[in-house]
Amino acid sequence: MPTGVKYVIGLIAILLIWAVVSLIISSDLILPSPVKVIGTIFSELSQQRTWEALGTTLAKVGIVMLITVIFGVFFGFLIGLNDTLYDIFRPAILIMQAIPIITWLALVMFIWGIGWTGPVVVSILALIPQTILSTAIGVRTTDKRLTEVAKVYKVRTGKVIKDIYFGSIIPQIIGAIQVVIGNVWKVVVVSEYMCGDDGIGMLIAWARQSVAANRVYAYTFIVITIGLVVENLVHRYTKKVLEGWEAS
Amino acid sequence: MMSKVETSREDMTLVRVEHVSKHFEKLNIFSDLSFEIVAGQSVALLGPSGCGKTTLIRMIASLDEDYTGQISRNYQKIGYVFQEPRLIPWKSVYDNLRFVLEDDEKINEALKIMKLDGFQDYKPAKLSGGMRQRVNLARALLDEPDLLLLDEPFTSLDLHTKLSIIEDILDGKKRRTFSMIIVTHDVREALLMADRIILLSNKPTKILEELDVSQVPKDIMSAEFLKKESEILNKIVRRWSEV
Repeated sequence: MPTGVKYVIGLIAILLIWAVVSLIISSDLILPSPVKVIGTIFSELSQQRTWEALGTTLAKVGIVMLITVIFGVFFGFLIGLNDTLYDIFRPAILIMQAIPIITWLALVMFIWGIGWTGPVVVSILALIPQTILSTAIGVRTTDKRLTEVAKVYKVRTGKVIKDIYFGSIIPQIIGAIQVVIGNVWKVVVVSEYMCGDDGIGMLIAWARQSVAANRVYAYTFIVITIGLVVENLVHRYTKKVLEGWEAS
Repeated sequence: MMSKVETSREDMTLVRVEHVSKHFEKLNIFSDLSFEIVAGQSVALLGPSGCGKTTLIRMIASLDEDYTGQISRNYQKIGYVFQEPRLIPWKSVYDNLRFVLEDDEKINEALKIMKLDGFQDYKPAKLSGGMRQRVNLARALLDEPDLLLLDEPFTSLDLHTKLSIIEDILDGKKRRTFSMIIVTHDVREALLMADRIILLSNKPTKILEELDVSQVPKDIMSAEFLKKESEILNKIVRRWSEV
């Protein structure tokens, strides 16, 4: 059976279970029926505010991704090359990684209040430690035998960094991007919900205040769909990059 | 441990190892080792496995500078044929050579000489062990070294491939004179490639004897070669059992 068919069967199964559970619960406030939610999705998608909110969330996701990957890889590369820097910064990065998002949200709200900056900063703070550590570990685990070859043949440092170190960390960078892309939507939407003044997260917060469960489900469904599509596209692209990079 | 490294420009001596000792914690690896290699000469360091031959060749290549004594170096460029090919896995054969020298003409020539033309776009994983070792050798000879270091380069190769690569090295030496230091525990390899064999003991490694084998024909089928091989083997058995 083709994989696409299996996916469709899986989705139909989820919708059927959802419909049955919704019938049993019989409360639109807790679990509206799939038909109602799908109807709400279409009605919401026909409204400009949904597209504007989506655009804002997407822009935040893009900014977070860009800053996280560029700064995370750069900083990770730097501390990975130097044992002392790595030992100095590692505890701070591990602490950052362990801090719950809610703590960052509280701090960010004290500083910037409700607005656009908060969700972006919180998302970067939540996602960057993983990128830094992955890159640093990639640099540190670079095959020292290859750097010895470079030393014997007096290859210039820039070339060693580009051809050996950077080549070695490509899988780590791609892994980090995949982790970030898998989480960035969730983190941005939660941040918008808690301290944003626009975006899908804020629409969910409004829907909750209006006790419109069907809209909460509809926005969530839209976010999940876009998130999965973006993740899939990134996965396909990174897979191509990896195939070109791989040894075979 | 102190390390003293100097580059001398005197006479024809390419490498001079003087009273070199090396310890690893309480283990004495070398003790007061001295020898020299003159320009154009091929020397085999023949010793039992684990006696520190690789460490010694790494010290000569400045990859290990933690020793006492002195190593004087009078060469501009070295080539190093590592035990394992050490090729960059994500780069093609061509790019692996280009990594050490950005000279397309020399790279193409090296590929041709090492019978690698047609494989320049292959990544190392697609090559056989023998081919990878040829790339390792091509890289070592690419920039016309004054000194070629070979660290047990044939360990994982079959006899045919080994002989073919040895022939390539000796051909390369005919085209352009360079000195060689080959580290091996194989008498046949030492006899085929060297003019002089330095027989090493087990740890703490000392020089047991130096043998002039420059007059031995480099042909494993010749009676003289086989006789000499047998003589050296007997000598090894005797000297290593004495130690």
